[in-house]
Amino acid sequence: MTASIQRSSSRRLTEGVESRVATLLPEGICRTFRVMPYAVVDDQVLVAASDADDEITLQVVAERVDAPVVLVRHTANEIVAAIDDVYPPIEDELETVEERRTRIQMAQMLTRSGLITNEQLQSAMIQHARSGDPLGDILVADEAISEDILVAALSEIHQMQRVGLRDFTPDMEVARRLPEPIAQRHQVLPVADADGTLLLAVQRPLSPELLEEVEEAVQQPVRQLLANRIDLDELIQKVHGEYYSELATSFLMENAPEISAHRVFSTPQKVGGIGFLVLVAICMVFEPMKTLIGLVTLASVIYLVVSVYKFRLTLRALGTHLEIEATPEEIAALDERTLPIYTILVPLYKEGNIVKRLVRDMNALDYPRTRLDVKLLCEEDDVETIEMIKSMDLPPHFHCVVVPDSLPKTKPKACNYGLMVARGKYCVIFDAEDRPDPDQLKKAVIAFNRVGDNVACVQGKLNHFNQDQNLLTAWFANEYSMHFELVLPAMGASESPIPLGGTSNHFVTSILRELGAWDPFNVTEDADLGIRLHREGYRTAMIDSTTLEEANSQVPNWIRQRSRWNKGYYQTWLVHMRNPIGLLLKIGPKDFMSFNLTMGSAYVLLMNPIFWSLTTLYVITQAGFIQALFPGLVFYMASAMLFVGNFVFIYLNLAGSLQRGEFGITRTALLSPLYWGLMSWAAWKGFIQLFTNPFYWEKTEHGLDEEEH
Amino acid sequence: MSTTVQPAIITNAARLAGIVQAVGRRSADVPRRWWESALVFGLSLVVYTWIGFRVVAQLHIVNYDILDRMNRALMVWHNNPAKMSAIGFDYPPLQTLLISPLTIFRLGVDFLVVIPVASAFFAGLLMMYLNTMMRRTGIPVFLRIALLVAFGLNPLVVLYATTGSPMMIWLAFLVASVGALYAWYITADVRFIMIGGLAFAVAGLSGYTTLLYFLLAAVGVGAILAHLGADGTEVEGTMVGFASPAIYVVALWTGFNLLLAGNPIYWITSAAPTTTDIEQFTALGLLRWTGELVLFGAPLAILVLPALLFVGLGRNNPFAVLLSLMLTLSILTPAMSVLLGLTDSPMAMENAVPILVMSVIGALWLARSAGEGAAAISGLLALALVASIPWTFQGMRTYKYQNLEKVFTQGILSGESQEGATTKGGQTITLDPALDMGQWIQENVDATGSVLTDNSATYAVMLFSGEPELFFDRIDKSDGPWLQAAKNPVKADVDYFLLTTDGDDLLSEQYPELLSSGELTVVYSNAEYAVVAVPADFAGLTEASAS
Repeated sequence: MTASIQRSSSRRLTEGVESRVATLLPEGICRTFRVMPYAVVDDQVLVAASDADDEITLQVVAERVDAPVVLVRHTANEIVAAIDDVYPPIEDELETVEERRTRIQMAQMLTRSGLITNEQLQSAMIQHARSGDPLGDILVADEAISEDILVAALSEIHQMQRVGLRDFTPDMEVARRLPEPIAQRHQVLPVADADGTLLLAVQRPLSPELLEEVEEAVQQPVRQLLANRIDLDELIQKVHGEYYSELATSFLMENAPEISAHRVFSTPQKVGGIGFLVLVAICMVFEPMKTLIGLVTLASVIYLVVSVYKFRLTLRALGTHLEIEATPEEIAALDERTLPIYTILVPLYKEGNIVKRLVRDMNALDYPRTRLDVKLLCEEDDVETIEMIKSMDLPPHFHCVVVPDSLPKTKPKACNYGLMVARGKYCVIFDAEDRPDPDQLKKAVIAFNRVGDNVACVQGKLNHFNQDQNLLTAWFANEYSMHFELVLPAMGASESPIPLGGTSNHFVTSILRELGAWDPFNVTEDADLGIRLHREGYRTAMIDSTTLEEANSQVPNWIRQRSRWNKGYYQTWLVHMRNPIGLLLKIGPKDFMSFNLTMGSAYVLLMNPIFWSLTTLYVITQAGFIQALFPGLVFYMASAMLFVGNFVFIYLNLAGSLQRGEFGITRTALLSPLYWGLMSWAAWKGFIQLFTNPFYWEKTEHGLDEEEH
Repeated sequence: MSTTVQPAIITNAARLAGIVQAVGRRSADVPRRWWESALVFGLSLVVYTWIGFRVVAQLHIVNYDILDRMNRALMVWHNNPAKMSAIGFDYPPLQTLLISPLTIFRLGVDFLVVIPVASAFFAGLLMMYLNTMMRRTGIPVFLRIALLVAFGLNPLVVLYATTGSPMMIWLAFLVASVGALYAWYITADVRFIMIGGLAFAVAGLSGYTTLLYFLLAAVGVGAILAHLGADGTEVEGTMVGFASPAIYVVALWTGFNLLLAGNPIYWITSAAPTTTDIEQFTALGLLRWTGELVLFGAPLAILVLPALLFVGLGRNNPFAVLLSLMLTLSILTPAMSVLLGLTDSPMAMENAVPILVMSVIGALWLARSAGEGAAAISGLLALALVASIPWTFQGMRTYKYQNLEKVFTQGILSGESQEGATTKGGQTITLDPALDMGQWIQENVDATGSVLTDNSATYAVMLFSGEPELFFDRIDKSDGPWLQAAKNPVKADVDYFLLTTDGDDLLSEQYPELLSSGELTVVYSNAEYAVVAVPADFAGLTEASAS
């Protein structure tokens, strides 16, 4: 639309604001640019502006008003009064005079020195209008200026000395004078003691209240030195890393040993397991056929019950839409000023090759970057990934978190470590290769606002971006579609204990910390955490937002990953069934059954090859002893599972893909039984490893999808 | 700054943008109202069971097909050993399997209760699906009630819903399938394609005719999707989802036929009539009887079919075209069965029931397509259905090719047992002899497998005895061992022969003079059946006997 500047007009703001134009511009734009649309004269919208000559202001207003615009000069007081009339101010959300002055100074300083262009400033101002975040932070997050330039500018504005912390070797005694929680919360760290005054590196000047809190904690006067946020963050980690590491490993084990997987089998479980095997052996000696029939019957009943349960869940999901949905309108209506800081934990190991893609996908999230707290969790010995991250000179919403080398070297331990330095009200885990829906964080925020206080976790759906790569990836996508489009939404809706997916689970950070976060000894810490949340009375909800992952495209790699998942399921079942009566009393019979039937699916995978072999052998040889194993009802049960159950599960795989609108991979779902064969192979591998190497983390190699090559 | 890689994330919304059946494009479905469905189902079940019990137990009007299937269902649980193969290949397997839960407990069989329940249950489902379809049509509740009552009281529907007819099973699932497509076309929700596909699979194994409807539906779904602008991937994926259940069950059943009967298409060929004494039709004759079938059994079709074609072709309404094709198929099926030699009861009046059902569904779609005129068309439909009640009732008394229709009308009018009455096809209604013989065996025989009989002729006795394990029948160990036992019954531990008095069974064929010669003692007999004791020194048809 055309726009022009007019210094005066016969129609003035003081005559009142016409209601039809009052809300043409959002509040943030009005306050940031000090503008207010107030009347329509000759089909032109008159907009009061305190700086009517400013080209940026003119452009911003013209882009947002769907009619010719005229800027009319008014005093700031007149405009602010009109804005306050239209948008009654909420004190906490208003920019203070000091903040406004800093912003304007910053903008002038950076533009006059040629460090940013008008376009960069305009973009940052618009973001500021939406989120209210400091202009400098926005410019750094947008990579318009570096953090060092911002620190220099802030130093100039606040007349505060700077300190360079890159390659700085801290005096640990000094650095640890300030308790870790305060250092972490405010991102400050003592760096030196100068004649009784503690020199404190700060990322931003502290308010008098915070300064007082720090001085009280260290019992000495403090002088602030401005530091680069990235360097300061790394230094805090260096100073407190050992503490974080120890806590990440041992918190759950020491505080709730009964639900920690550091012990695979409890003594009663060992006695019970061995007792059962001995009993079976004795029975086999005296009544081999009857014993075998008994075992076949037991297996058939488990098959049937697990299958019926899963079928019932999927049917329920097929009938309705059970996830929490947020419409585009709801997302657009979110006031970004109210958005909390969101921590994203991304565990990485030997994945330097996909860091660029990861950064791209994180930056594509529709969430103010200034409110993102992305923790790239690297193992200390993974020099390649750490160097790759450092070489990228990422803006400060990305944090390279180096987890000290210690055992167990697992993803949950890294996540626990990351959680300790997390600043977000909410946190989420994404894997390195994940591509979340850009609006997922906002959907999660909406979901958390909508659900009850007992919902501590919101699980996004997972699927694959390389489903068309080969048959294996298509099968994987079929499986995920069924699991995340049908099974989990139904479990969420029925408030059953949900074994969380590996990524895209959004948590209330404080609750997660309170629960001891992930079990570093459990190789499916996500599934285990879902059950622990449920035990403590918290619930998990599903949201209708998808994260695309890379499906494993190579069989050996897939087997490794899947064997770990199965081992983790066995671990989780063993942990929570150490005291079955206690669990039953705590979560109730319905959820107890649900937990057992969900985890039971891992055991069904172990039984599959046995039954398939028996069936094949019978078809080929018609051996009488096999027929004898399936008398009467057992035969009917087994037949029903063979002819109906198997097809139903094939079809549900297909149904998940149809429900998701992935029509291209429905064909492959028909070949699912071959995939089940691989699943059973992996299940046996995981089961054997449970005894031989229970805590070993079978690493999955990522970045194998063709797009990268 | 170093990291400037272009975003390449395709959002869900973008991914689904070109998909016809995408979530965002779907129209809202009617809210679920499970209690209403349960009410319609429950009421229909109770009413049809109550009527059925009176018709079967008091009037002795029973569909004989169900007795054989029920007997097989009883064997599934109570034969010695219980075996699934009792289902056999002579009928669509689900006709037996789906009623088998009714025979878990023998008690219901003794009192004939389960026979009406076998059809009333599925008639209840049919009414429930019709009601849901009416809700999707937007018909107000009072009109829905009127329509359900008018349809439900159609004498043909009552006859087949109350006397244990296996037709009700496949018809219920056919309506479920078509109902799912109906919902799919309205909502574009792919879930209904899946439900439709599964329902067609079940319907296909409940009545093979359904497979023809399935083929039509598959072509129709593909054509409709293409018409709506779906790309090839979406059409293909949807077709896989829709067709795979039916293809699976057909493949599975064909495989079983190959493995166990030695002929992969035995399930088709076994439907051919076993007798050559079947009336031959000319083309003109087929046309005439097709017309009479429609005229007396489902006159509604005469109005609905052209209306569907008009709406479908004239107003670019592809679902109306699909329904018109399905209705045409239902009208032509009886004549096609005759032409292909696949029926031993040609042009039977029972064929009018699917025509009536498809006509009602077509009329509902016409009502929905009429927009604001839906209520008016529904009202007209209700009136037409009410008017057809006496018309069809009269047709049941006069139409030439029928089973129990005339007897049923006689029974309804007189309220008296039809035992001994003759159907229009010349068959005599006899239930008492089977009940009587079943009772005798139940009271006098204890040993398992001691009564040798040809179950294909004496299934009613076996059923009413409630103890199939007492019999050594052709299902127990297949025909070979059974014939061996017939030749040497003593060796097979047989104590009795159960034969039909008219000699129309395989055992009587082995021993044609047995009843008349007095060689063995007839321990009990009635008008239809006889039990003959087999002494320990009976040589049977072995060489010793021959010599």
